[in-house]
Amino acid sequence: MIGLDAPRQAEAKEAGAMTALAADAPFLAAFRACEAPMVMTDPHRPDNPIVFANSAFCRLTGYAPNEVAGRNCRFLQGPDTDPAAIARVREAVALGEPLQIDILNYRKDGRPFWNAMTLTPVRDEDGTLRSYFAVLSDVTRDRQAERTLAQEKDGLAQDIEARNRALQSALDQQTALLHEVDHRVKNNLQVISSLVLLKARRARDAACRDVLRSMADRIGALATVHRLLYSLSDVARFDLRDFADDFAVELEAGLDPDRIALTVDVEAVAVPASMAAPLALLVHELAVNAVRHAFPGERRGRVAITARADGERLILDVRDDGVGLSAQSDNPEGFGRDLVGMLVRQLRGSLAFEDLNPGTRAHVVLPLEGGVTGAGP
Amino acid sequence: MSGAPLRILIVEDEAFIALELECLLEEAGHVPVGVASRSAEAIALARDLAPDVALVDIHLADGPTGVAVAQALSARAGTTVLFTTANAKRVPADFAGAAGIIAKPYSERVIRAALAYVGGRYHGGVPAEPPDGVVLAPDRRGDDGPRPEVPA
Repeated sequence: MIGLDAPRQAEAKEAGAMTALAADAPFLAAFRACEAPMVMTDPHRPDNPIVFANSAFCRLTGYAPNEVAGRNCRFLQGPDTDPAAIARVREAVALGEPLQIDILNYRKDGRPFWNAMTLTPVRDEDGTLRSYFAVLSDVTRDRQAERTLAQEKDGLAQDIEARNRALQSALDQQTALLHEVDHRVKNNLQVISSLVLLKARRARDAACRDVLRSMADRIGALATVHRLLYSLSDVARFDLRDFADDFAVELEAGLDPDRIALTVDVEAVAVPASMAAPLALLVHELAVNAVRHAFPGERRGRVAITARADGERLILDVRDDGVGLSAQSDNPEGFGRDLVGMLVRQLRGSLAFEDLNPGTRAHVVLPLEGGVTGAGP
Repeated sequence: MSGAPLRILIVEDEAFIALELECLLEEAGHVPVGVASRSAEAIALARDLAPDVALVDIHLADGPTGVAVAQALSARAGTTVLFTTANAKRVPADFAGAAGIIAKPYSERVIRAALAYVGGRYHGGVPAEPPDGVVLAPDRRGDDGPRPEVPA
């Protein structure tokens, strides 16, 4: 406590003021004893000097009571005090307005502290400004904690950003790699197909040429799968209809349209990419077998390929109105038929041939993804 | 074969693919005039041979230079460029002057159909349907529809 308000002491001498002062005594004692640093200034005196400061204020600032009495509060400012904050305090004082502000102040020993200050203009009953009353609070630790937290947050954000960049770059690499592999697979399929076709062109023996051509067709079916597999955004799925449409055009190109009519009615069925190659080969073998063997000589007829999803199963039918299985010329190698059996087994499906009189129906039922319990890879 | 024979330059670095393509073109009644496996060779051959059509792979022996080859070759009046590539994503949006893309792996039928179309449209042959299996360049499709999804 550094003293009482001098004008009030003067007023106290006046008659009638004593009772008011006596009534104020407990408040004065409370301010003095309060643990919150407090200071009061008198704007009616030159340079608005301090007229009261409690012990908590002296403990916080390090100044003795006689070192602060009569001085303007600006001695608390220092080199890093924000001029904008100083200007706001000045403005509030000039306008007689209350203010709450965080401002960097300095102790007597030069150490700075963050002061969260509440500045209140005090008026008498007439509304006349009598004094300014400020309550100080040392929030240096809060500010430091805030700053540390902000730094940690920044660090974390930078960390996350770095990780995102690393992930993105890994993904970009993976995508580039997938494209590269896809490109190589397609190119190699073209090379393989070219090799087989070149050999077929040079083969003198017609049977040999046929065998090579039929191998090239099988490679072509696989090639179609690969061309379609990565053309959509979903690399894990394969649309059977896209394949069937493409395949039908290729198959028709090799048919005499006046002799054999081909119809294709395949639903859009998304099948797992892992099924794509064997399924495409299966459709190819069944259809080609029908076209090749059901119409010996100049026999005319039709071949129909239908496929649809039935719940978790794919139902594939290839029917012809040709001579029927029993009448078909014995194929000593029977490679196409063997392939069909192997492919159906690989796809964990079932296969039945039915005599339609006339003709044959190949009926294939295949489990789609998750369709068969306990079927391991 | 439909339409007049076309003189065709093959720009392809895979020997077997190029050789098989030559046989196929002959079988289809066209005239393969040369095979180039590098970009400079392709541009020089095109200058000397003035082919009607160039079938251009994007990845050549000197790198992914097929796009630049297509630009150079399609700048010549009278030469129509078709990409034959397994990497259609490398083709720029303007197709580098090419008339279309034949996606590898292609079939014989697609090559024949594409050449029949190009012969009919650009080289005074019998008009033919735009072939499926060939992605036509945006300004060559006769409509202003959106660019079709280019196969990968």
